[in-house]
Amino acid sequence: MARWRVNPCHCREGGCGARVSHIIIIDNDPSAALVTQRGLQHILGSDALVERIPSAGAAWLACARGGIDLVIIDPGGADRSGMALIKALRHEHPGLIVLVLTAYDTPRLRKQMHALGVRGYLAKPVELHELGTLVQQVVAS
Amino acid sequence: MAKPRRTTAPALVQRRHHRLAQALARIAQLERAAAPADVPPPSVTRRLNAILAVCAALLVTQDIEMILQIVVREADALFPGSSGPLLFLADERDERLWLRATRDGVVPPLSMDPGQSLAGRAYVAPRAMLLGAEQIVDALGTLTDEQSEQFASIVAPWPPRAAFLAPLRVEGQRLGALVLPGAAAEAHFAPHDLPFIQSLTDLAAVAITARRQLVRAAALQHDLAQSRSLHEQAQARLDAAQAQLLQSAKLAAVGELAASVAHEINNPLYAARNSLYLVEQDLPESAPQRVFLGIAQSELGRIARIITRMRDFYRPDRDELETTDVNDLLDETVELVRTHLRHGQVAVVRALDPAVAPITAHADQLRQVFLNVMLNACDAMPGGGVLTVTTHPAADQSSGGGVLIAIADTGTGIASEHLPHLFEPFYTTKPQGTGLGLAISAHIITQHGGGITVASELGVGTTFRIALPASAPRGHRA
Repeated sequence: MARWRVNPCHCREGGCGARVSHIIIIDNDPSAALVTQRGLQHILGSDALVERIPSAGAAWLACARGGIDLVIIDPGGADRSGMALIKALRHEHPGLIVLVLTAYDTPRLRKQMHALGVRGYLAKPVELHELGTLVQQVVAS
Repeated sequence: MAKPRRTTAPALVQRRHHRLAQALARIAQLERAAAPADVPPPSVTRRLNAILAVCAALLVTQDIEMILQIVVREADALFPGSSGPLLFLADERDERLWLRATRDGVVPPLSMDPGQSLAGRAYVAPRAMLLGAEQIVDALGTLTDEQSEQFASIVAPWPPRAAFLAPLRVEGQRLGALVLPGAAAEAHFAPHDLPFIQSLTDLAAVAITARRQLVRAAALQHDLAQSRSLHEQAQARLDAAQAQLLQSAKLAAVGELAASVAHEINNPLYAARNSLYLVEQDLPESAPQRVFLGIAQSELGRIARIITRMRDFYRPDRDELETTDVNDLLDETVELVRTHLRHGQVAVVRALDPAVAPITAHADQLRQVFLNVMLNACDAMPGGGVLTVTTHPAADQSSGGGVLIAIADTGTGIASEHLPHLFEPFYTTKPQGTGLGLAISAHIITQHGGGITVASELGVGTTFRIALPASAPRGHRA
């Protein structure tokens, strides 16, 4: 449980007082999730804490505890839990920023996500630096 | 008193002159009627020769009216005691007998039912017969006053004192009747004449039947030719529809497969591509592995581009359709490729008919189609040329309208051997092409219930024609 608690500082020394963005990644594909997490952590450095969350349910709990700045999620695939999480977050945490990174891009999904108020939408196989740029813009805003 | 006498005398004279003329006319008529009595009947040999002549004439005659005239003329010649033969033909629908030919060619609109009067009796009779004065009076009793007047106007004397009646029959089928009223003396019409008159009517019946059969055969042949032509046209339409259906089914199948493969490949491709990126970040600038990492990344990037195109086979749902102005969409697309066009020194001619009504469609997908076709056109004009974009309302208003679009270039053209394969997935003539652009375009247009065709001539140019309905038919998802 402590893994997902908000860390106010992610520098080597810790406790420096700088605000660290806490980003969580929910993706059914473990390889894709790992690459996203490592890549973003590499790009964002100590300005962010990027974590993988194993399921939509666990992500919902993490968000309920607070301290999450950005949720990156793939709502596609056979498992509809990602979509359910986005809808739940919209109702329960309307201020929480959600970014969609999906392998199941369709015009319909794009339209649905737009209607649900997601801040950004990227289709795989996007390059990491493009994802990093978008995340930096979203976090900065 | 003298005055009235002076005025009535000329009138009296005139009336008497008139009566005198009438009396003279009557005398002349009676003399004419009596005249045949002095003419001896033709010999048997002469009659047989006449029958043979009729036979020869009927064999070569193709016109029914002419046949009737020949029969009447020859009957008149064979039986000089007649006051003029009357030939009746039965209406093929209701069997009512209509007078069709007389000696002097005057044919009043005289008709009667089978069994009625002389012609009616002749029609139902099994063979030729001779009627005497009493039988004639009995037969004429069934005539109306109007019919009697019509007979009296063409037969003199009326009523006749004798008459030959003969049916026109072929193999039990009744066609009409010949009536030969006797002019003066009953004695000139004898029963031994009956075979001659029957022979004459039999010949006439055969000739008429042959002619009618020829006419029916010609009509049937015409109908058959017309049916064959219609059948060929229907077959051609069916073949075209089947080919289109097959193409549509192939595209749909490829589309389903491509979209699902694309979705499944995206995750591993994303992971592989970006893993290489992460590895590259930790390598020193001079590391020799960077060359191969670059190649791997480049090739994965190529795969990514193909996958992105394959994803375009995705079929949108109905709720993604919107009212779309095709003219606006084409304008926007031309603007999108304008830089490309300028570099290629390509002039654009737009002839967009403002009468084109908006259609229900997936605007982004149609834009993709137009873009694809226009970029292909630009590629086909490396030395510059003219790109012409035209629209018209669809002529078939029964389907609620629609639009016809033509995108034409003056480029190099496409070789005829490539044309049948142009819309097949992965078929390309370009070294760097994926072979998906036109296949996706055709798929999108098909999903909208429309059609896309191409016509091309080497060295002249290529024209893509796209037909889109006002709204996609039910059963289509787009």
